[in-house]
Amino acid sequence: MLVGRRPRTTLLRIFVLAVASFLVFNFVLLPIRVVGISMEPTYHDRSINCVNHLAYLSHEPKRGEVVSIRLSEPRWFARPKEMFMKRIIAVPGENVSFHEGHAYINGQLLDEPYLKLPCDWEHAPMQCGPDQYYVVGDNRSMPFADHTQGRVERSRILGKVLL
Amino acid sequence: MKIALRIALLAVIAGAGFWLWTVWFPSPQMIVLKKISSLAATASLNAGDGNITRAAKVSNFIGYFSTDAEIVCDVPELGAHTLSGRDEIRQMAAGVFTQMTSLKVQFLDAVAHVGADKESARVSCTARVSANDSKDFGVQELNFQFKKIDGDWLITRAETVKTLQ
Repeated sequence: MLVGRRPRTTLLRIFVLAVASFLVFNFVLLPIRVVGISMEPTYHDRSINCVNHLAYLSHEPKRGEVVSIRLSEPRWFARPKEMFMKRIIAVPGENVSFHEGHAYINGQLLDEPYLKLPCDWEHAPMQCGPDQYYVVGDNRSMPFADHTQGRVERSRILGKVLL
Repeated sequence: MKIALRIALLAVIAGAGFWLWTVWFPSPQMIVLKKISSLAATASLNAGDGNITRAAKVSNFIGYFSTDAEIVCDVPELGAHTLSGRDEIRQMAAGVFTQMTSLKVQFLDAVAHVGADKESARVSCTARVSANDSKDFGVQELNFQFKKIDGDWLITRAETVKTLQ
């Protein structure tokens, strides 16, 4: 086995690398695999990505950002095994509605250049609470009721999808 | 060096002792988490499972619930349903276990909160379910209420949670 001229240094480097990788990929950049078509065509089924867990330490989530949302309560030192991946289209206090497949925020048409698939959604206005964000996928070609979307509390937003 | 070795040995013995303690005297939190894990195994079916195995699984499945247990399910794919009592739960389980070729159920990210009385507990988790050997799966947030009845932790209520409202 190749360990170099200074095996102790090599071992130390391996140890540091292992610890750094553990810390980075458990607490900073969470590796994820996209499953499903709800974020097509922006993110494809079975693609690999990362969630920046520290993205919202300095600022709050913004409209247009793609975020990961946890489904269960947080556990110390353990990242969730399952998360939703959705795009924020409305921030706290805003009103969301859909008309002829277009999203309206407080009655104003929302420009969504990332939408490439046809949509015919119609839905009455929904009010986000003071701590709620409205999240939805980019693939709105299925009926409104079949698409997992809605208001989510800030505490459930885990981080921002990196790529 | 000798002292360092002794300290390391002591740490290993202390760790092993703690582990043994948790195995022999598990906390209520550990017991309910283990229950959730074994419930998932019971609710899972292999394609090769015969009728006798499936009937036994239904029987085992019922054993996790109290006699007055309630299952409240409200998901877009299935609509809103409430099952009350073991008989209704048994009927549902028998129906599912007969119709499905295979079923894989996992309860992930489980967190348990034990009540101050140490006689009740709540478990929050994410269910991941795939049917008939499909690679696709559904996820659903769930809450379980446990109660210690005659020395055994039984589910008194299981309900789906709307993560996105």
